Amino acid sequence: MSRIGVFVCHCGENIGATVDCAQVAQMSSSIPGVVHSVDYKYMCSDPGQTLIKEAVKEKKLTGVVVAACSPRMHEPTFRRACAEAGLNSFLCEMANIREHCSWVHEKGDQTTQKAADLVRVLVEKVKRNRPLRPIQVPVTKTALVLGGGIAGIQASLDIANAGQKVILVEKDPSIGGHMAQLSETFPTLDCSQCILTPRMVEVAQHPNITLLSYSELESLDGFIGNFKARIRKKARKVDEKLCTGCAVCTQKCPQKKIPSKFNAGLGMRTAIFVPFPQAVPNKPVIDIENCRYFKTGKCAVCQKLCPAKAVRFEQEDEILEIDVGAVVCATGFDVVNTDFFPEYGYGKYPDVINGLQYERLASASGPTLGEIRRPSDGKIPETVVFLACAGSRDRAKGIDYCSKICCMYTAKHAMLYRHKVHSGKAYVFYMDIRAGGKMYDEFVRRAIEEDGAIYVRGRVSRIYERDGKLIVKGADTLLGGEPIEIKADMVVLATAAVASPAAEELAQKLHISYDSYKFFSEAHPKLRPVETNTAGIFLAGACQAPKDIPESVAQASGAASKVCGLFSQDQLSREPLIAAVNRTAPPQYSSCTGCFLCESVCPYRAIERETITTRGGKPIRTIARVNPGLCQGCGTCVAVCRVKAIDLDGFSNSQLYAEVRALA
Amino acid sequence: MAETVRRTSGQTVVNDMEALRQRARELLDAGTVQVIIGYANGSNRRVRPFFARRPEDLERLILDDRCVLNLAVYLRKPEVKALGKAAVIATPPLLRSILQLAAENHYQESEAVFLALDSAGNVLELSSAEQIAGVLGSLPGSTGQDACVPSADRMPALSAGSTDRQARFAFWKQEFERCIRCYACRAACPMCYCEQCLVDSNQPQWIPVAAHSIGNLEWHISRAMHLAGRCVNCGACSEACPAGIPLNLVNQFLADRIQQEFGQKAGTSAKLDYALSVFSGSDRETFIK
Repeated sequence: MSRIGVFVCHCGENIGATVDCAQVAQMSSSIPGVVHSVDYKYMCSDPGQTLIKEAVKEKKLTGVVVAACSPRMHEPTFRRACAEAGLNSFLCEMANIREHCSWVHEKGDQTTQKAADLVRVLVEKVKRNRPLRPIQVPVTKTALVLGGGIAGIQASLDIANAGQKVILVEKDPSIGGHMAQLSETFPTLDCSQCILTPRMVEVAQHPNITLLSYSELESLDGFIGNFKARIRKKARKVDEKLCTGCAVCTQKCPQKKIPSKFNAGLGMRTAIFVPFPQAVPNKPVIDIENCRYFKTGKCAVCQKLCPAKAVRFEQEDEILEIDVGAVVCATGFDVVNTDFFPEYGYGKYPDVINGLQYERLASASGPTLGEIRRPSDGKIPETVVFLACAGSRDRAKGIDYCSKICCMYTAKHAMLYRHKVHSGKAYVFYMDIRAGGKMYDEFVRRAIEEDGAIYVRGRVSRIYERDGKLIVKGADTLLGGEPIEIKADMVVLATAAVASPAAEELAQKLHISYDSYKFFSEAHPKLRPVETNTAGIFLAGACQAPKDIPESVAQASGAASKVCGLFSQDQLSREPLIAAVNRTAPPQYSSCTGCFLCESVCPYRAIERETITTRGGKPIRTIARVNPGLCQGCGTCVAVCRVKAIDLDGFSNSQLYAEVRALA
Repeated sequence: MAETVRRTSGQTVVNDMEALRQRARELLDAGTVQVIIGYANGSNRRVRPFFARRPEDLERLILDDRCVLNLAVYLRKPEVKALGKAAVIATPPLLRSILQLAAENHYQESEAVFLALDSAGNVLELSSAEQIAGVLGSLPGSTGQDACVPSADRMPALSAGSTDRQARFAFWKQEFERCIRCYACRAACPMCYCEQCLVDSNQPQWIPVAAHSIGNLEWHISRAMHLAGRCVNCGACSEACPAGIPLNLVNQFLADRIQQEFGQKAGTSAKLDYALSVFSGSDRETFIK
């Protein structure tokens, strides 16, 4: 016979003001099997927990129901208290009479009755609970880092330097990300590549890091500590081991007029290419969509000239299956193109460019070798207009948020222009200047005061071409909204930072949540900023929201420390609330019919096939078996099983049935 | 009590019975199979399943349009399995059942031999799901309505195109009133292979077992849902029902809906995913993505 204890919590006024807790305790005492029933002001307090512990010992309780808040809040607290008193912690359950009752109803008899009903339901459940032990699962101490931009690089290096193995997956032929494209970085104006490339080389040389460039994640299965990643290593068509990086192929390739993605479309590259001189790894890739050999079957110049004989036209994509314990997602962001703006010419004016293109113009490794020359005719522009908030903070464009980096890089752009073209005029149109950060405001002041950038507070309504000039029409709102018209030679739009196009698909592969802008969601905006809601998957950098370099690096180090914390344990404890297939006496052995419907619905691939054999090893029948390491206790298999041969511990069919019957 | 139109004409549709018997005899003689499962005449002009283990028994084998009992149910029974490998006299509905059983891991390749007659009267010997799927469409009687259909005047609610849900529900409530819960439908159904049926569970007792309205309705709705997308429309349930409830119409209704929604039909291939549990990118509802 069950001996259940019921403990009703007032939660101060939270429950006590609407529910008559004393009466709930009194009503509960008459439920068959309940031997002890009390109410108390704060059950989670130390004296409250002592009440439970003492009752467990004195009344020899076989089960405990705490009627209080949501089990998400205090279930661990009360289960621990029961465990300390010698009762298996899974024999303690919570009836949620706060979120499910007192907070959502008015004070009254019916509210008290509902609280009593909720207690009665849980008493019936606890009667059918059985003692369970947590499951121990091993941890694979290898981290998977997705994205080889600065965030991914930093996270990889931090994890690797802590002595753990890292697999860094980058979709492009080289790591480096957007930071490799930048010219100088605010607020110190040091050269982006000069500070980034040593890190890139360190990644390539680190004994704990395996770099998989030109690769993408196909799928991720499993759970914290035990993920299985399938990674597609795209065919470079070049044998990485043989290639020496001599660059004969890239010089001799006859297909030379392909817009370079690295140069934001301003420069050209060949069909066999290395994205930029400092690329890591410094091995070329054949772009088969543009390669003459793949289009016509003739050419093969690179193959003929390669001194290392490393070109492999027949190379195919390769799928790697890797076990990892944690994932850091650092897949970065993208910027909107100029064709997003009808009012600024829909991308048809070549001299209206976006911030990333300007970075390439200003970069010493860029198509103009660092001279500011406009794309249309290569002339040095005399007047340049910079537009902050192009798309950002604009509900009409569907981008409500602030892209955060534009204020700073626009100040930098104006400054770089004035440094390179002393006679030039730099206008900046802005909404507000958001320069929060160490040395940031000083940087903007320097652009205005020392480098003579002309800041105009107002937005630009239209840009059009007249007599070879770009006419920028705006308003100066600080001077009473006076219309202003500037004849510019070049316009730079600080276009909005947006989630990368593949973000949504990736989030679905990883089973992580994302917001309406397709940026990945953190588990808590303040207190768990690098975790996702999926245990074991962490976020770093601008895939979560627009971020500058210092922030990305800080978050990457944060994610890395979370990974290292996870890897400091050899085993993880998991709740044992998992499904199991029943076993019965021979000749049936189980009521499972072996239809394996459960196998097709299980989202965690936890269903295995088990063949029951005689002692001599002769197979009798094949039934389903639940892998306890993979099962997450979602119960989908229980719902589809026609025979009800599969059941979930802690939420068994008979428990749920009894709970429903208790309300009848 | 309303009456189902049963096919009891007894007209022999098979003229090549001798060829079939001859082939069965060869199989028994060669020891390829140990038992031939077919039909024989029972009492009162009824047809009964027949298990021939000796060549001389084969004379009693018959095959006519009264032979609607689905013999596939016997392949799953331990006592039949104990007889050894079986050859089964096959009709198109039986072969459809075998394909669906194979799709559900309940028929293994070459577990049995199926003897069917093609339209030219040749005996076909089939054993793999692939062979069955290959010839099924060309067998006589493989198209059209195989199962018994109650006459339309008996059930205006069910006449073609009727969308009156209330009328339909009223009709079925009345039909299920007559159910005596003998579970003959379950016993006759090749897809009802569970060793412990949901309705036999008493911890918890999901469905009341007494033959009264509520329990009857729950039982038949549960059974229909368990057969949704799996019923091959052999009609054995309706044939078996002593109360004459046209049960296969419920299952067929669901089968039609599954075909409309997901474009698949049970008993057409041995490689068929269960429509209600898998998701494909071409499914119409995209909410699950």
